[in-house]
Amino acid sequence: MNWIASLAPRFAAAGRRLSIPLADLLVLAYLWAIGTCFTSFILYGEEAYLLVPWWVMALAVVEGAALWESFGVSLGMRLFGRWLSREDDSSPSLGQRLGYWLSWHLSLPLFPLSFLDHEGQTVAERLTGTVLREPPADAPRGRWYRTSSGWAILLILFLTSGAAFGITKVNLSALIKGAPKTAKFWRSLASPDTSILTLGLKLLLETFFMAMMATVFAVVIAGPVSFLAARNLMRGPLARPVYFVVRAISSLTRSVDAIIWAIIFAVWVGMGSFCGALALWIHSIADLIKLYSEQLESIDPGPLEAVAAAGASRLEVIRYGIIPQIINPYLSFTLYRWDINVRMATVIGVVGGGGIGWRLAAHLRSWQFPEASMLTILVVALVWAIDYVSARLRAKLA
Amino acid sequence: MERKQSRSRSAEQPPIPLTARVLSFFLDWSIWGYIAYGTVYLLNHYWYVAYIDWYGRLTLPWWGWPVVVIATFELALLSHSFGHSLGMRAMGLMPAAEGLDRPALRKRRLRHFLASHISIMPLGIGVWASPSEPWHERLSGLRLVRLPQREEWITPPPRWYRTEWGIMTLAILGLTVTLGWHVTGIHLRVLIAGAARPARLWQGLTHPDFTFLIYSDPWLNDSIVGALIESIFMALLATIFGAGIAFVLSFFGARNIMAGSLPGLIVYGLTRGVFNIFRSIESILWALIFAVWVGWGPFAGTLALFIHTIAALGKLYSEQTEHIDPGPLEAIAATGGSRIEVIRYGVVPQIVPPFLAFTLYRWDINVRMATVVALVGGGGIGRLFFYYKDQLDWAKVGAIIVAIGLVVWLLDYISGRVREKIV
Amino acid sequence: MPHLAIDHLTKIYERGKVLALDDVSFSVDKGEFLVLIGLSGSGKSTLLRCINRLIEPTSGRVFLDGTELTALPQRELRRWRRKIGMIFQQFNLVKRSTVLANVLAGRLGYVPTARTLLGRFPREDLERARRALERVGLLEKMFVRADQLSGGQQQRVGIARALMQEPELLLADEPVSALDPATSHSILKYLEQMNRQDGVTVLCALHFLSLARRYGTRIIALKGGRIVFEGSPSEIDDAKFKEIYGEEAEQVEVR
Ligand SMILES: Nc1ncnc2c1ncn2[C@@H]1O[C@H](COP(=O)(O)OP(=O)(O)OP(=O)(O)O)[C@@H](O)[C@H]1O
Ligand SMILES: [Mg+2]
Repeated sequence: MNWIASLAPRFAAAGRRLSIPLADLLVLAYLWAIGTCFTSFILYGEEAYLLVPWWVMALAVVEGAALWESFGVSLGMRLFGRWLSREDDSSPSLGQRLGYWLSWHLSLPLFPLSFLDHEGQTVAERLTGTVLREPPADAPRGRWYRTSSGWAILLILFLTSGAAFGITKVNLSALIKGAPKTAKFWRSLASPDTSILTLGLKLLLETFFMAMMATVFAVVIAGPVSFLAARNLMRGPLARPVYFVVRAISSLTRSVDAIIWAIIFAVWVGMGSFCGALALWIHSIADLIKLYSEQLESIDPGPLEAVAAAGASRLEVIRYGIIPQIINPYLSFTLYRWDINVRMATVIGVVGGGGIGWRLAAHLRSWQFPEASMLTILVVALVWAIDYVSARLRAKLA
Repeated sequence: MERKQSRSRSAEQPPIPLTARVLSFFLDWSIWGYIAYGTVYLLNHYWYVAYIDWYGRLTLPWWGWPVVVIATFELALLSHSFGHSLGMRAMGLMPAAEGLDRPALRKRRLRHFLASHISIMPLGIGVWASPSEPWHERLSGLRLVRLPQREEWITPPPRWYRTEWGIMTLAILGLTVTLGWHVTGIHLRVLIAGAARPARLWQGLTHPDFTFLIYSDPWLNDSIVGALIESIFMALLATIFGAGIAFVLSFFGARNIMAGSLPGLIVYGLTRGVFNIFRSIESILWALIFAVWVGWGPFAGTLALFIHTIAALGKLYSEQTEHIDPGPLEAIAATGGSRIEVIRYGVVPQIVPPFLAFTLYRWDINVRMATVVALVGGGGIGRLFFYYKDQLDWAKVGAIIVAIGLVVWLLDYISGRVREKIV
Repeated sequence: MPHLAIDHLTKIYERGKVLALDDVSFSVDKGEFLVLIGLSGSGKSTLLRCINRLIEPTSGRVFLDGTELTALPQRELRRWRRKIGMIFQQFNLVKRSTVLANVLAGRLGYVPTARTLLGRFPREDLERARRALERVGLLEKMFVRADQLSGGQQQRVGIARALMQEPELLLADEPVSALDPATSHSILKYLEQMNRQDGVTVLCALHFLSLARRYGTRIIALKGGRIVFEGSPSEIDDAKFKEIYGEEAEQVEVR
């Protein structure tokens, strides 16, 4: 047991050493990919990711990382707060750097060796008598735009947004030429078709209740489950796995948008507001578990200790130590989620989730703009009202 | 009532503003209106007493409407005279009558109720005429006072669920859930009976088919990875440019910056109004509009996310700017800094970290939305998703859902870590 | 038989392998006011928490009235804990709850769980809370939220909470470190009063020697988890002081 425990810091040290070249390789590879994408878009006006054989790129990336780390302070080194220095914190000589660059190539294949060292030193460091460590507190710090990492980040941002124009097929002339097509929509915003007002109100009511039901029933589930997803409460060999499983399921569920859930439920229970409510419900549960458990993780442990010291049982510790601390934040998150649910409920209908969204999308698709504008106005009014109410109530709870 | 009285050391109180009185009454009236609507809806649902037609119109006999209006009004009066109503509680008020035994109190409440008809029913004449002590209060000696501060309590207040307003709240919640149950058409039986229906769907979802993970589907000329990249870049572009524009606009939407002149206030109101309206229309609806405008494709989706991002971030940014601490600004102005310097060294350092955090948060939302805007013609991974869904090719749909889940989760995780570092 | 006996107590924190208590043994008689002193990190908090097992000691035993606390199962331990009051440096009140709710929490060991979960404390306990708050002079703050009180007031609420337990032993972990000198004295006077009037045995960790001399009947000094001094307050001279606190330390007077 002791033996394993003593290995853990070694793994950590070696892992930290390994992360630096990995980060640099990733960054350079990304730069290459996005750069080729960018140039091909500028030169040929089409999408392409690789303009040279893959091994050329691999070579360039690896050499780039080696050079960067040997002769400068690479982005990876900055991220993990390391720099290359001699034992006495002075800057290595050019010869040492050259040597470091040559032996750098050995470090990666021979990386397992650094597990033997409790500092995680790599072969390159050993051979050249340098160390990769935290810069001393008084080390001179250049302005960010004078460092190679600063430039790398700038380049990444620039190339990424350039390439993004190509990938997302930005077409400004379509934006300008197409404007008249929507003129009718804007004009009809001023003259909505009031004959569907009552129908719209009914759909609005349905939308509201959809969000309401989803929120209420999500709280019923997420409230208790959030305790299983709080790291500080789930200690111990039995609790930890449960914590990880709950966390993983809820964050994966949360990543899938409610609209996609609505499609699944449309197959299950048929289209309509029940389907929409179910989709919002699932998504709210996952989201609330995250919000709630983060709140639980940030509670003050002092009162728990005090209550336990007075001889309280475990349930009483929860009731008197934890619940008073979380009740207001929980309510506030619930209101926030309710607000989001109302917003989502207005569009979940687009895929058959019921409520006003379905009708609105249908009108928009068939270019019936006066009807669409009437429903849009209703949606805006509802969302606005709920937003206001929820914000006011949350301000009270704070 | 005696209990409530004794719970505070009552002191001299300033008169209650007229708006609080009026609002508390109208709140009660609308609450009773809501209860009436709910009751009629439920009655109708079970026994067809009143008829709600297909368009959602509630049809009552001609005398029905006045009856409902008057009945709810009477109920509001009753709840104002005979207890501590929700409307009062919401406005921070409570009824008070010192040192009375039960029968005397009951008599007084009855008098309050009857006098209210004279004082409130004819357009609230008794309230307008003497706002500090309306006629019905003067006649009955039952007054509205402010809720005591916690420092003034000497006995514990009754538990909230045993007060009149607490019961009213519970009733409303119960009614809402019941109504919601019927309005949204929740059928647990359908949920259970239908569980087998998506069997093929489950089959597909649990056995995802990753054939087109990297290789393009010849029909769609796109692969999962390619489409995901497209989605991510849609979100990226929308976030970067949306944040940039929102940053500039947010200063026009910050009250503390725009206040001072009338044109400034007008610009402030307009900016905030536009933010709020544009924010209320979800990205998907924007995508529908832009699909008409620039044609189907990722550009329409990007524009939709972009517009919604501007509005949402603009609001968050301007609220943040409104909440900056004026102390540092004063300190810099005091050292002789110019207006630009005050903004550069006083405002910017205060707003940059929260702005970055909001932007990252918005980035998460945009990635998630980018996966679905394709539904209405926005491009990205959603295009594949809806195509395979229409083909009922659930295995490929499953693969896409898994891919979306993982990628969104990963990006969410990364931005969460970055956000932790910033704040 | 001593009231409290500590027998070869050792605590090693798993994380970081810190030896926080190193074979500590001593005993306390009924009615003593024992003061623990020592540098920051010397293990005072660890020792106090090992006594009521908020922290499980690595080895060693703790006896209260002849019962071995360290051998009790959880359920029994809770019954014994209610005899041991505790006061904390950071007060450890539930900030969002009212003062009354915080004080009533001191009765949790006595009232059956089924009742407390519904928040229904017996009437006598409400009376008792009123008396406890009256004793620390906070009756009018009964329904105020705890975060609206000053530091000294919060610590008085902490004392009232301990009073509710009607303890035989009171553990106080640096009860005055977060307070100014004048308030410190008023808090320690309440502890002294409990000690003298109610006969509660007090174990109090303090930072200032002057306070320790003024209130303690006996002093135990810890250094690096070991007892380096044990005796009456008057026995601590300059040499002893330097031994406990290190060569560079200066005595600071707190009046
Ligand atoms: N939860 C813990 N995990 C690991 N080590 C800990 C933990 N709590 C305390 N320690 C270590 O144990 C030693 C004793 O700590 P303790 O808190 O008992 O000291 P103390 O005398 O109360 O100090 P202070 O006067 O600062 O409160 C210290 O070295 C501390 O770093
Ligand atoms: Mg301590």
